[in-house]
Amino acid sequence: MKAFFEPDGRRMSPGTIFLLMLPFLAIAGFVFVWPMLSLLSISVLEPQPTLQHYADVISNPVYARVLWRTFVIALLVALLCLAMAFPVAMLMAQSRGPKAVFLTACILLPFWSSVLVRTAAWAVLLQRNGLVNEGLQTVGLTSEPLQLLYTKTAVVLAMTHVLLPFMVLPIYGALRNIPRDYGRAAAILGANPVRSFVEVTLPLAMPGVTSGFILVFLTALGYFITPALLGSPREMMIATLISQQIREQLDWPFAAALVGVLTLFVTLIALAFGKAVRFERLMGGGAA
Amino acid sequence: MQQPNPTAPTSLRAEGRGASVQVESLVKRFDQTLAVDGVSLDIAGGEFLALLGPSGSGKSTVLMNIAGFEFPTSGRILIGGEDVTRVMPYKRNIGMVFQNYSLFPHLSVADNVAFPLKMRGMGRAERLRRAGEALETVRLADYGARMPGQLSGGQQQRVALARAIIYQPRLLLMDEPLSALDKNLREEMQLEIKRLHSELGLTVVFVTHDQGEALTMANRVAILRDGRIQQVAPARELYERPANLFAAGFIGEMNLIPVDWSGGRATLPSGQVWALPPDACVSPVPDGRATLAIRPERLKVVPAGTEGALPASVSEVVYAGAGTLVLARLAGGTEVRARIPSAEDGGVRPGAQVALACDPAALLLYPVAA
Repeated sequence: MKAFFEPDGRRMSPGTIFLLMLPFLAIAGFVFVWPMLSLLSISVLEPQPTLQHYADVISNPVYARVLWRTFVIALLVALLCLAMAFPVAMLMAQSRGPKAVFLTACILLPFWSSVLVRTAAWAVLLQRNGLVNEGLQTVGLTSEPLQLLYTKTAVVLAMTHVLLPFMVLPIYGALRNIPRDYGRAAAILGANPVRSFVEVTLPLAMPGVTSGFILVFLTALGYFITPALLGSPREMMIATLISQQIREQLDWPFAAALVGVLTLFVTLIALAFGKAVRFERLMGGGAA
Repeated sequence: MQQPNPTAPTSLRAEGRGASVQVESLVKRFDQTLAVDGVSLDIAGGEFLALLGPSGSGKSTVLMNIAGFEFPTSGRILIGGEDVTRVMPYKRNIGMVFQNYSLFPHLSVADNVAFPLKMRGMGRAERLRRAGEALETVRLADYGARMPGQLSGGQQQRVALARAIIYQPRLLLMDEPLSALDKNLREEMQLEIKRLHSELGLTVVFVTHDQGEALTMANRVAILRDGRIQQVAPARELYERPANLFAAGFIGEMNLIPVDWSGGRATLPSGQVWALPPDACVSPVPDGRATLAIRPERLKVVPAGTEGALPASVSEVVYAGAGTLVLARLAGGTEVRARIPSAEDGGVRPGAQVALACDPAALLLYPVAA
């Protein structure tokens, strides 16, 4: 365990640390740990102590397919976000003054607006008589409206848009922390811009890349609003399925078992990531 | 004390002599600011040149243009006779040491030193062998496996030095490389850099704002101010015959006394008239108001009334071991300082009326600053 130091170098007492963390622990306990535990207890205790609900989840291939689809979509969204975020983050890290403010605003303004609004905007764009379909027909690429809304593509597109800032910001942070002299040192030592990027910039940006990737990927795994509004009922993601079980089937124990499976899934992936890239580097930002 | 020098391995020596560097009428403008205003330098192969100046004088910008991190607004840069004005830095084959070491934190010390060889396509085994040699040259042979963060500042700067010389560059640039180190380490590194310079035979261009560092290390020092060169000269000439009042005041201490100059004779504020030797004027001085300059250590305290000496009243005496600093006020009101050997201070006390004598050969005359 790493020691906690105050700015002047003194070590904080465990009591102080506990006091400082108390508000966080209280909120996390009240709105996360407690509901989570009660939900998980429902999955094994109702109507009587049983593992039947988990058996149902595992035995029916429909649910495995939903889980697999969720995994693929989340991975795709995370990869798309990474591909789009890195160049933007680099541009932001290299910019100064008004240009930097403008770029940051471009990333943060959508971030501050409601997810619901942004998802609804995509519905407007992608609907039968929406901007995208009309545009395609005007250009002559298609003769009649395409089914864009309520597809996997729509879900991936909108989720990438919604989650993009979560990728841009950590990568930007990591890039911003790389001193300008490193690039100059690499150049004068003989590295052309591509090699300088591969040998110096990329390795030093990795903590930002991995934390952004984990953030987007894990968020996407449990994402609800966007798949619910833009996705096809035939191609459900797990969060939509859970919601449906609760609100339409009123089958709380089964929904709770699905939550249990998703939680296990997320935990395993987080642990795997944590092993691959040392967790403290992620948290500490790395380049010291 | 410096240890006996191990001879640097041949794989590190610059092929032939270091490269000559010509900076021709360099002008660099950033938006509205003129950072470098027509600087020309002719640096011989194997020379150690220091660029010295206060911050904002443009010395770093000149270096950035030689390195290729900045391109000149106008003017040319030649390295080894070849015009590199618009050549990208990675094609210039220059070694460089930065102020904050700039070791790559994700690479081991050996991989840092081997980095330039990796960029030049050398195999891993061979480049690590050479990195070992280079680390030996800077006396860090056993540190290859460590990470840069585990080294002290002085060790990191030696690693940076090894990395800068490993590919036998013919020119080594240093941007205030010692300013982050404490005094003892700085002196040790000065010796280290001088040793490498003489062993490897490369050309060194060294930026500093520390005049002592510039004078002790460099063959020649270029003094910059407001983007212009004030003087380029060896240390001794710089100190003994500064080209203008700025150079005179920037290097060491200088007493400045206003005089009236006419026909080879200077009239002092006290009314005394001194005939100056013809070479007291570093550059032609027009008749009229002028400034007489004398180094504090060239003044002697003599009894009041001594013929040809300046009458003065002592205002303060500061004893500092070997030397003593005497602050005095001349008859005309000018404050001057004299540094005399403590053994010869003759018991001078504040309030005493004395006279200050000076060897005419130590007198310099400058036009009044424009």
